[in-house]
Amino acid sequence: MAVDDLLRLLNVNPVYRPRVVHIEETEPELADYGSLDKPLDESLASYLAQNNIRLYSHQCEAINRIRTGRNVIITTPTASGKTLAFNIPVFDQLAKEPETRALYLYPTKALSNDQLAVHTQLAKFTGIAANPGIYDGDTPQSKRAAIREHSRIIISNPYELHQVLSWHAKWSPVFSNLKYIVIDEAHRYRGVFGSHIALLIRRLLRICDYYGSTPAFVLSTATIANPLEFATKLTGRQFEHVEKDGSPHGKKHFVLYNPYFDGTGERATHQETKDLLISCIKNDLQTLCFTGSRKMTELITAWARDDANRTSARLANSISAYRAGYLPEDRRAIERHLKEGTMKAVVSTNALELGIDVGSLDAVLISGFPGTMMSTRQQAGRAGRKGGESLTVLVAQANPLDQYFMRHPDQFFGSSHENAIVDITNPYIISGHLLCAAAELPLREDNDKEFFGDSLQNILPELESGNLVRKTSHGWIYAGRSRATEAVSLDGIPGETYRIICSGRLLETLDRAQAYREAHKGAIMLHQGETYIINELDLETHIIKVTPTDVDYYTQPLKEVDLVILDELESRVVNGMKCCFGDVEVTERYTGYKIKRKDTIIGLEPLSLPPLSFRTKAFWFVPSTDMEQKVIGAGLDLPGGLHGAEHAIIALMPLHVMCDRWDIGGLSSPSFGERGEPVIFVYDGFEGGVGLAEKAFEVLPDLFSTAYNLVRDCGCEDGCPSCIYSPKCGNDNQPLDKEATILLLAEFCRTSKNECLEKPVMHGSVIF
Amino acid sequence: MNVNPTMADTQIQTRIGALWQQRIHSLREYEVVRDGNVFGSGFSNNCVYSSEYDLARRYLDRLMTQYHGDSFLDIFAGHDIFNDAGACFCIQSSVEIPGIKFNIDGFRHDIISDLTLVHGVGEKTQRILKARGYETLEDLLHHPKFRTAAREVVEQLSIGNSVDMMDLIGNRHSRSHPLALGTAGFYEPDAFVFIDIETMGLFSRPIILFGVGTIERKKLVVRQYLLRDIADEQAALVATMEHLSGEKPALVTFNGKSFDFPYILDRLSYYGIRPRSRIPHFDMLHFSRRRWKNEFPSLRLSALEKEILGIVREEDIPGQMVPEFYETYLRTGNCGPLVPIVEHNKQDVVSLALLFFHLLGESYGC
Repeated sequence: MAVDDLLRLLNVNPVYRPRVVHIEETEPELADYGSLDKPLDESLASYLAQNNIRLYSHQCEAINRIRTGRNVIITTPTASGKTLAFNIPVFDQLAKEPETRALYLYPTKALSNDQLAVHTQLAKFTGIAANPGIYDGDTPQSKRAAIREHSRIIISNPYELHQVLSWHAKWSPVFSNLKYIVIDEAHRYRGVFGSHIALLIRRLLRICDYYGSTPAFVLSTATIANPLEFATKLTGRQFEHVEKDGSPHGKKHFVLYNPYFDGTGERATHQETKDLLISCIKNDLQTLCFTGSRKMTELITAWARDDANRTSARLANSISAYRAGYLPEDRRAIERHLKEGTMKAVVSTNALELGIDVGSLDAVLISGFPGTMMSTRQQAGRAGRKGGESLTVLVAQANPLDQYFMRHPDQFFGSSHENAIVDITNPYIISGHLLCAAAELPLREDNDKEFFGDSLQNILPELESGNLVRKTSHGWIYAGRSRATEAVSLDGIPGETYRIICSGRLLETLDRAQAYREAHKGAIMLHQGETYIINELDLETHIIKVTPTDVDYYTQPLKEVDLVILDELESRVVNGMKCCFGDVEVTERYTGYKIKRKDTIIGLEPLSLPPLSFRTKAFWFVPSTDMEQKVIGAGLDLPGGLHGAEHAIIALMPLHVMCDRWDIGGLSSPSFGERGEPVIFVYDGFEGGVGLAEKAFEVLPDLFSTAYNLVRDCGCEDGCPSCIYSPKCGNDNQPLDKEATILLLAEFCRTSKNECLEKPVMHGSVIF
Repeated sequence: MNVNPTMADTQIQTRIGALWQQRIHSLREYEVVRDGNVFGSGFSNNCVYSSEYDLARRYLDRLMTQYHGDSFLDIFAGHDIFNDAGACFCIQSSVEIPGIKFNIDGFRHDIISDLTLVHGVGEKTQRILKARGYETLEDLLHHPKFRTAAREVVEQLSIGNSVDMMDLIGNRHSRSHPLALGTAGFYEPDAFVFIDIETMGLFSRPIILFGVGTIERKKLVVRQYLLRDIADEQAALVATMEHLSGEKPALVTFNGKSFDFPYILDRLSYYGIRPRSRIPHFDMLHFSRRRWKNEFPSLRLSALEKEILGIVREEDIPGQMVPEFYETYLRTGNCGPLVPIVEHNKQDVVSLALLFFHLLGESYGC
């Protein structure tokens, strides 16, 4: 068997062997079939019978629960047949009640199109008049009325829904009869974007309520640590969780491959990946390779083809890159070649994990940890054809997260710690949606408290003083001069937006903090795999002018951070140490930037930008005097230890709280504020906060212990990018003392006899 | 329960009001284009020439100075009206209007002689039928092939439901056919309701002024329901709809099929008010277009009133700038900016009525 051959190679080859740090084997599983509580409509039953489809246990469980009107979240893996699990109850209901409507929300066009095909086919076969239609930005004006009136299944996306809600009068037949809202790939709706979607969903439910319907939700997500909490935060409803996968799979091999096994790597991660790729295809394994950027995709493809060319031109031609921008015809061509077997390897960015049906292949190579376990599992899920053996190899990069997993495989293969965050308390985000809601129907404090909680009474008066809403006896009316849905975007925190322009073309938009940090004059920026240099950042017009470049250096800003605690909202004691969560005001000052080639600093330039002040949420903790004494007594550097601990915690926070390390900021000090105490702060990098620090505060003990494990087990001498060096340290990674860090972290997570894991003390809570 | 917002909360909130005000304020629904930029004006209706724009902004400043300190009632002669939805302000004026004598016999003759109203009868067939002596629809009742279809049409005509008749004429000819306009002849003058609205934007924002014209004792009475406060909108809506609640009202607008009426329906549904269904609607934009399509470069009401009625407006502001004038009033309390809005709207209603009678008179006047 080809997979065995490759595994043998990995074991025998002197270069590969030491790099393989762990192989996790999962025994094959047979299918576990289930049964339905109630029989299906005949047309559906015969559809299943004629296509030889037997329903798996999780599909039956989901279908049973959905049919009793419950809200369900399904977290079984990709390719486990989730789509059928939600389509069956919808079609069944439609067969019984022809006026039923269902709304399906997808994050991408490709997925929407694929789903339309599935629905159309099912409708055709069963004769159930679903008339599925896509209603989004591309739907021509002439078709819109017909879809609103005749389609029973409407496929759309959040951006379109955001606009459509103001037209609810035209949609009344849909909203009055809406029975199901299906949200696929729901894990995408987390973080800041998730907050927007959560509020959009509340606006939708409010309108459904007005028209007298109470639709049930079906959410499909990848595996996360907090599915029920996430689903409730996203929709405001209670859910049931379907997780046990009944679909069959063959024997799985998951290899953790570390080019930095001995602390130093000879070659870069991606070159190592290229070698593995060649070995795979030479062993006749159709392989899918994921990388983190377009540039890497191109490079690996190019190197692999070069290498393969030495064997044969045909082999070289059987390797192809896949990019998000491909036309449908190109996608089809790749899919076809893969099916036919003429294509042996496809190299892609992580974007592929969403959509396009390349089916399953023999092997999956993941070059660099994609940022979340969730993404990793989704990518790995592509390995293994029906019942066949599969191989996944994760090739680690030299950074803390990747290296942490390489040294702690049990953490990697254990259950998910990753919490998907959706925070609905950020006033900047809520206020925008309140404006939209007021423009849809007058806002009434009594009726609408269910959807927007206390924010109504806190925020509406503020909006009124800006002349945007008006309180009347019929409720709060939207009175703004421009359309609310035009002013409110579903992306980002409203605030000053900067636009990046190249030759008159808009590349992307950034908020102010990002602009100062990543797009100051002289900065090198990456956008969709291309490199640009910032020529000008205009603070008045908010325009950033860039030109393409291919320099071989990159830049890193230097910043000073000041922080003021505004309000302590919660506190708890962890291992004798006081930990707090609350509102802070952060002032970041970008004073200059480093110019670096690889890891060497080749230059330093000053910057003159005004200080950036914003209010956000943070957690902080004050090491006890005991802990201080231990460090000083051991002759170690306290500031260096605090700083190292701060970096380690930030580096591993994404393990517990799904975010990017760039979404959070930190500050450590041996002597802070009036009291002169040592302290470490970690704050949300977004004005108003988005729930990251808040969740981390909840799981602090776990966070401390993972950070401790990381630094303790790192093979380096004095600290390295794999443990306490941070790529975004504004202080140039000074001062850092690895030993002090280990000591402090050990203290933070040492559990004493009287385990101090009491419930956090809350001074206020906003949950709705 | 976060009952006592903390100091920090209050300070965040201060920024929110200002932040959204600035954002929403900076979005405009029109483009200011260089004078003579023909392309700019061609692609969308929503452009304002920069000279007009500058003039209007200067006018706004003048108004603010001129009416500084004046109260609402100092400037506008009107009274509050009350209904189930609350109160709103009504400015009333009246204007002499040359009525017409509608040649109802002439119209009846035209419509009953139009054999093409019958399904299956085109121009050619009509010629043949007339040559054979079938002059009217009633004659066709005896025709072997067309008698059934003809009966349907004759019945409809005798019921006299003008919405159905306009539909029929629209299906067989076009919605802007003179016969469709002619069905107005079945109404008494007091049935016509001339409506023009001013809004805060292109949709999903409040209507700030409802101009309603009705014929009372041979005069055109214009009632303008003006929002002193956004909270008055519902009352103003109800007051306007009351004019359409009679037994047989007939709505007349200019571009109302695309704009004014759907807009009103949208605001009705915003407040949860059911609209009356199937009100006969004469949209003068369509009839004007058909009549004067190749004669004038612009068929806007302001252009037609100049060419046909000889009316020239002084000190007018572009319609697209009404929202910012009104918003200035809301923000500052200075009623000056409202003056041109009210004037503009009044003239719109008057010109609409004059245009209506002019065109009706042209086709079917005696």
